[in-house]
Amino acid sequence: MSNPLVDMDKPDVIFCIGTNMTECHPVAATRIKRAIARGAKLIVADPRRIPLADLADLYLPLRVGSDAALLLAMAHVIEREGLVDAAFIDERTVDGELFLEHVRKFPPEWAERISGVRAEDIERAALWYGTAERGAIYYTLGITEHICGVENVQCLCNLALMTGNIGREGTGINPMRGQNNIQGAGDSGALPNNYVGFQAVDDPAHQKKFTKAYGRETDLEKGPTKVTALEMCGDRIKAMVIAGENTVVSDPDRDHCEHALKSLDHLVVIDIFLTETAQLADVVLPATAWGETDGTCTNTERRVQRLRAAVPPPGDAKPDWWIVSQLAQRIGFKGFEFESAKEVFNELCELSATYHGLDWDRIEHSEYQWPVPHAGHPGTPRLHEGEFVNGRGIFKLIEYRDPAETINDDYPVWLTTGRRLASYHTRTQTGRSAGIDYLLPEETLEVNPSDVDAWGLADGEWAEVSSPRGSVRIKVRATDRSPRGTVFASFSFADVPVNVLTGSGYDPITETAELKVCPVRVEPA
Amino acid sequence: MIRRATEEPVTQQPTPPAIHTLTLDGEEVSFTAGETLIDITYRHHKDVPNLCYDPRLEPFGACRLCIVELEGANNPVASCTTLAEPNMVVTTRTARLETHRRVLMEMVASENRDIDVDPLSGYASQQMRELVDQYDARTGRFQGEQSGTSREDDDNPFIKRDYDNCISCYRCVRVCAEQEGDYAISVMNRGFDTQITTEFEGLLVDSACTFCGQCIQTCPTGALADLKALANKDVPGETVTTRTICPYCGVGCTVDVMTRGEQIVGVLPAMDGPANEGALCVKGQFAFDFVHHPDRLATPLVRGDDGELHEASWDEALDRAATGFRKVLDEHGRHSVYGVASGRAPTEACYMLQRFIRAGFGTNQIDNCSRA
Amino acid sequence: MNTPTNQELFDAWRHEPAPLLPLLHAFHDRDGYLSEGAMRAIAKELRLPLADLFGTVTFYHHLSREPGGHQAPRVCTGPVCQLKGAAQVLASLDGATSMPCPGRCDDPVPVLVGDKVFTGAELDRARSPLPPPPPDGIDECVFAAIRATARDSIEGYRASGGYRALPTAIEKMRPGELLDLVDASQLAGRGGAGFPTGRKWRAVADAEGTPKTIVCNADEGEPGCFKDRVLMDHDPHAVIESMALAAYATGASRGFIYLRYEYPETYRLLARAIAEAEAADMIGNAVCGTGFSFHLYLRRGAGAYICGEETSLLNSLEGKHPFPRNRPPFPVTHGYENLPTVVNNVETLVSVPPIVVHGADWYRDLGLSDHPGTKVISLSGDIKRPGNYEVPIGLPLMSLLQDWAGGPGEGRSVQAVTMAGLSGGFLAGEDLDVALDEPSIRAKGSFLGAGGIMVFDDTRDMIDVAHSAMEFFAHESCGKCFPCRIGTRRLTERLNGAGPDDVTQWVDEVSDIGETMKQTSACGLGMAAPLITESLMKYFPERVTEHVGNRRGANR
Repeated sequence: MSNPLVDMDKPDVIFCIGTNMTECHPVAATRIKRAIARGAKLIVADPRRIPLADLADLYLPLRVGSDAALLLAMAHVIEREGLVDAAFIDERTVDGELFLEHVRKFPPEWAERISGVRAEDIERAALWYGTAERGAIYYTLGITEHICGVENVQCLCNLALMTGNIGREGTGINPMRGQNNIQGAGDSGALPNNYVGFQAVDDPAHQKKFTKAYGRETDLEKGPTKVTALEMCGDRIKAMVIAGENTVVSDPDRDHCEHALKSLDHLVVIDIFLTETAQLADVVLPATAWGETDGTCTNTERRVQRLRAAVPPPGDAKPDWWIVSQLAQRIGFKGFEFESAKEVFNELCELSATYHGLDWDRIEHSEYQWPVPHAGHPGTPRLHEGEFVNGRGIFKLIEYRDPAETINDDYPVWLTTGRRLASYHTRTQTGRSAGIDYLLPEETLEVNPSDVDAWGLADGEWAEVSSPRGSVRIKVRATDRSPRGTVFASFSFADVPVNVLTGSGYDPITETAELKVCPVRVEPA
Repeated sequence: MIRRATEEPVTQQPTPPAIHTLTLDGEEVSFTAGETLIDITYRHHKDVPNLCYDPRLEPFGACRLCIVELEGANNPVASCTTLAEPNMVVTTRTARLETHRRVLMEMVASENRDIDVDPLSGYASQQMRELVDQYDARTGRFQGEQSGTSREDDDNPFIKRDYDNCISCYRCVRVCAEQEGDYAISVMNRGFDTQITTEFEGLLVDSACTFCGQCIQTCPTGALADLKALANKDVPGETVTTRTICPYCGVGCTVDVMTRGEQIVGVLPAMDGPANEGALCVKGQFAFDFVHHPDRLATPLVRGDDGELHEASWDEALDRAATGFRKVLDEHGRHSVYGVASGRAPTEACYMLQRFIRAGFGTNQIDNCSRA
Repeated sequence: MNTPTNQELFDAWRHEPAPLLPLLHAFHDRDGYLSEGAMRAIAKELRLPLADLFGTVTFYHHLSREPGGHQAPRVCTGPVCQLKGAAQVLASLDGATSMPCPGRCDDPVPVLVGDKVFTGAELDRARSPLPPPPPDGIDECVFAAIRATARDSIEGYRASGGYRALPTAIEKMRPGELLDLVDASQLAGRGGAGFPTGRKWRAVADAEGTPKTIVCNADEGEPGCFKDRVLMDHDPHAVIESMALAAYATGASRGFIYLRYEYPETYRLLARAIAEAEAADMIGNAVCGTGFSFHLYLRRGAGAYICGEETSLLNSLEGKHPFPRNRPPFPVTHGYENLPTVVNNVETLVSVPPIVVHGADWYRDLGLSDHPGTKVISLSGDIKRPGNYEVPIGLPLMSLLQDWAGGPGEGRSVQAVTMAGLSGGFLAGEDLDVALDEPSIRAKGSFLGAGGIMVFDDTRDMIDVAHSAMEFFAHESCGKCFPCRIGTRRLTERLNGAGPDDVTQWVDEVSDIGETMKQTSACGLGMAAPLITESLMKYFPERVTEHVGNRRGANR
């Protein structure tokens, strides 16, 4: 997030797109609700009538995968109506003129034909956001899990740049991170293109720095992403270590994923449960869980916080850092003689640009949001104040693209996937916590009541959902939250492996899968 | 041509609030405009009693225990709803105030079934008991009808709705509306017949309730109680809390994990957690017991010749894991190894795994699960 | 006539100000009750949380959630009607339930059936009895013209001197001058609090924020008070004219009359008068043909005494749970929709047009000695001529009872009277020798308030009367603050045979509860209720001893 969580009750116009925040980030959503109670206007764009839409002053029910069309048209209206922040564009951005010329091609009527959102509502959304004193954008995977995920994000950045809604209190571009430490995972360098602290691997200076630190030279060349690596399994990739991820269930195209892992010569899984993925491993190493582990994590607003052990782990379970460092030593790698999480974290801080001013003791009270470039620096709750992190904000000239697969005679229904309040990811944790079943006993396919009738389905009865990659049986739930022609399910339940259906395409830059769009056929089962 | 929306962007630079002074228990103290008297008494550790006050919520003025004497006013005033004004003369403890407070506590005690409730009930659950004892209010005076009807028919596994112990402070209703924004519960009827309810007196699961547990944590009597924590009330040992971060989404709510011995018995939201400021959701509040689930892996497993996974010692397992990598490395080169880190493990886990791949194999063949 | 659809009802009210109460009534009237479906539809349409709407509906006594509930008869069991056979009426009507005093103490026993009121004297009596004429030599203010022919119509109102003040003020006075005039008259709030009207208006005129609002508090819920009803029934245009004057003086552009539920006929009369006044440009976009605009809306309560408390009333108008608000801030700066608002009682308002016509000195001189003005007293109970009397402030109470109203029944004596309806507790014995002005009555530990006086002769059991009074307060306590919510219940129980059976302990408990209620309650209800027990113990200690002692005997 460019802005801190405390900024969420400060905007006067809030634009939420592709974020089911009340279910996926409920505590952050409480701040939005407070902003609404205080008088802020809320615009919600989502294919489903999610609970957040019920709170909205303006709800834009767009067709799955048509985000860029909607956003380009909003930029069009803002430009047409003269709501552009010229001073901001002059002083802080690049390619503003080109961009403003570019968006003249995308009137709301054009976007209505693609997205299904009424042109007048697009106008209204643009006027509200364009005239906001403090306009803030929030998004989640509904924006990024597309073949055009990066372009969607760039469209949002364009909106913020053209209106100057960035770098100030109550504004910003704010992706809500889905997992407790997904930010920390990236920060730590567990990425194929970056060392710790987002230091690019293809920069020789960084290579030199880390060669010195690690005592061994690392390639200048980026590694493949996980998605590509899975493609390469059994071919170039022969051995894998997977820590704490149930790849088989959470990734798209489950059959393909399972096949890939089975074709490895050697698979080591580190986890707290014998997940579907762990069951394929040659060696399973038991890790300590939350509540048993000392360490750190970093939240969606870049706040670095301490995790503390409260109870001992079961049996012989060990912290991940210990397991991996032991493994490294057994292989014969040098420099892995770590004694504590503190020691690991302090090395990380030493080598990271963004954490450089931190150490284990300094984060005791959760006060710091990175970047913290040096000791004594107060941290950076709000990014891009006065100046962008990378100099000037760059407008990107985006064109709308259709999803990888679009509905057709064989697969005439849009399936979109997501998460639900009471369950978390593949339910390894929530599924093993007493009482959660009371709220969410099983997965269902959410279908508009009219479609239930039209397709010969029945509320509470079974349906068969098929895509070119496979099919699943799932119970039908009739609900107005789904628009006609679009159905929804989460991927949380192992007995309804929705991800056998998805996986039609990937964003070419991030290789994030298009989990939000998948044409399917729905029939009574 | 770039056109301008407004003349000049209005920079919102609020003027810092003016500093004033008033007299608090004979001492001159300063305050900023907009502060209530109770804010000031808290800052000066005056320990003014209260039951309906939650600093996160709008002042309400129900319990009247926080009354103070204000020079020039005939009656005491509720300090929670009285805005401080310059030169006020405020006294927090007089014989008259203490008498009223005691009578009020006797009245509250008279309408309630239990004064002593298990501390696992919730964060604020001991508040009424402490005040009853502080004011020596177990006198049995003012006996009469008791208020509130418990909802034993509500079968939800999280929130006990024991309204026989409700004192109608409305903190639950207010936290649900003001803090959580769910508006799932409200006040039914009036006067002594007041009852906290969902719409049409239904079950929580059929209402707008999201089971975030905020009502439990703000309840000062344990009328609303944490059923999951209370299920552990017979676990021996003293309750100890450990501060950590919720294991679920990326918001990073601070929690205080309650343990007895080697068992987690419940979770409390941290009122001073920077991300959540006391808020939690159903997962963070209630989905903690996976940690002790029998499915937890307690021993390394190694795939045997029979194709099955078998328990092994760390020594065996690490050897086996290391040998596998060594072999692949020797036969296929360093670009044949790949690592996947987790966005749910601590940063140290991710860091160590990328270090393993980079410092060990010299490649960038590492990623995390953020692409799914 | 076709039954309106939900959508038609929403279309009628959705864009009106303060739409919740009218919508609730529209569904209540249409369906005969408020169904779950109706509440769901209203919550969705007005974007209100359903639980909140449900809770608010349950707050109001007269909103029924059972089919047919709207038409079920409600019988007054207030303190006076209890003396006049309420119990028998209640028992004789199928499906009847009791209701708190609906302001018909001059004509007991009223029964409310749907939108009609039936009274003991006449079936479906349309109108309040006119006030009895004053004794010779007494000048009136608000009643001076009320007995004129057809005074309730715009023609009759004009013919008897109405709608003279408003054009005069608009044409000849600046708003500031009107404020000066009201200040000079020393007119003070006649709803009970006695706050100087000129000061209140000036505070609103000076406050920042628009639109400003004039609210006429016609939620006359105090048992034993029925003066506003007679004013509105016979002189509705005076209410309208005075509100327009208040608007002119303060710069307000909208007004509400918040009328209690139990006055359905008054609702119809006011609605007609408002339509007439709009047609005649006395209110609307161009008042008296000038650029001054003032829109007036009529809203009906749903049965809650606390809504007579001005901040509860504002919450009720806004569609919120009608708990009283914390003060400060006061309505003059943070009233309806948090904007500057005048809230005045009916009687206060209708005093203004005569003041504009006759001058401030004239009004002040209506009172006796140095007391300014008049006060309408609603007199009822054991008295020969019950009714509304506009008395000069300072008139001795006994003079009103004996000379004006004929005294108690033949051969009876006055044992006690209530003051301020019930809120002032009892006066009895030597304290009956008191002048009807606020300082004199306050010196006796009571207050004049809204001016309801109920008379109890020497045959009445004052414990019963006190119990009935406290039961009323317990029934009407909103439940927000502890001392009132618990205290009214505990005092009711103690007047009904519960509590300690030792007199000293009983008196200690009742006194302790009472003192804490008086000094710590959040609003006037909780502060006033214990005056009942306090005055009971003061004037009738033997009856208290007997009451507690009897129970002690019965328990053994």
